[in-house]
Amino acid sequence: MLRPGIILLTTALFLISCQTQKGKKSASEFEVPDSVLLAETTTISEEAIDEIVQNVSSPVEMAALIKELGVPFSTKYLATTNYVDKYNTSYKMAYSLGVFGADLGYLNIYDKSTQVVDYLTAINKLADGIKVGQFFDFETLQRLSTSRENIDSLMFISVNSFNNMDAYLRENSRGHLSALMIAGTWIEGLYLVTQVASEKSNPELAERIGEQKVNLDNILLILNNYKQREQVTELIDLLNELKNEFDNVEITYEIGEPKTVEQNGMIMIVQNEKSVVNITDDQLNKIIIKTKQIRNKLISA
Amino acid sequence: MKHLILILFTALFTFPVYSQFGPGFVEQCAINSGKDATYLKDFQVILNAAQPEQIQPIARYPLVLSKNNIYRFSVCTPEDSPGKAILQLYDSNKLIFSSYNKDTGEEYNPFNFLCQKTGIYHVFISFMDGKEGHAVGILSYVTR
Repeated sequence: MLRPGIILLTTALFLISCQTQKGKKSASEFEVPDSVLLAETTTISEEAIDEIVQNVSSPVEMAALIKELGVPFSTKYLATTNYVDKYNTSYKMAYSLGVFGADLGYLNIYDKSTQVVDYLTAINKLADGIKVGQFFDFETLQRLSTSRENIDSLMFISVNSFNNMDAYLRENSRGHLSALMIAGTWIEGLYLVTQVASEKSNPELAERIGEQKVNLDNILLILNNYKQREQVTELIDLLNELKNEFDNVEITYEIGEPKTVEQNGMIMIVQNEKSVVNITDDQLNKIIIKTKQIRNKLISA
Repeated sequence: MKHLILILFTALFTFPVYSQFGPGFVEQCAINSGKDATYLKDFQVILNAAQPEQIQPIARYPLVLSKNNIYRFSVCTPEDSPGKAILQLYDSNKLIFSSYNKDTGEEYNPFNFLCQKTGIYHVFISFMDGKEGHAVGILSYVTR
């Protein structure tokens, strides 16, 4: 009597589990060499980590700033996808996932659909590798990338996929992979903006680079939580070298009251409290050089 | 065997709970922010009704905003939500703006924020009159 019910339920569960994989291979078919399922031994609470993660600005903003400054698109700023097959540890996969996520943001902002497919393919492979492929709808993104008309959906699904992958990793005791992904995204975004600054002197770019001091502190806070892992420690050491270059950058604040204006029929609040970044040419050059060294070292196969 | 059935049954029928919003609702809300807006993140909120003599439930989200950027804040409340959502932007403990003015009853959804100070801000989402409800807040980057 019970047997047909059990079969029905088992079949339904099987179908649901297949559906969540979006027609992909089972995660168990992918080898993840290091022990990704080790229990996390964190020193900061998950709630605090979650809050710090939210306090790292999006690479999309960096890419948008560069575009608004009239800097032409260039593939030379992008990380190559040629080494994806050589990223064979969960550490490398998570870090590179972040790197390619930042590059995808840059490509999307410049609406470069031809190159997007390469990056979508690489991201899909890495996401499967660390078993978060169910949050990356490769087929839909690939389809959307074929037309300019779909840029809003493409942007939304791309960014949202990364937000979901990140949240899933942190909720499933794989916070160290989330931390690596966030670090990869941030370093690639910083590399992009520093490379542009090395070619085009612009005070707004210099200021944006200087204020990354705050983001770097946040990323180090997150990574330090997983410093018992050797590969995370290596990354922390590299980022501490970069922190040394940022240490002399000064950020000061001016007080002011916000005012409300109407612009194109929409309310806009204009903040009058200001942050001012004091960064010298020498400090900027040192940050540019160090960022390039670290970024190139980390994306090498 | 009974335990197995119970586990399977529970797993099967609790699965849809993870989908709090209809398909595409968050995406549509993000796209409705405008052609000049690029989606950055969303804040999905589900809150219970306020109990008598208790503080109204509020969801709070930290976020970092960068100087010289214009951000757009919008909030979408599905039709089946008993309460209508209010989104407020805070800098430390100081309210910068609210999508709803309680005194005049006017709504400002979406609204833009020209940030002049890079730092940590907070988005608060609650529901009018302390009702229960669910809603999605969207943060977008506005192209100048």
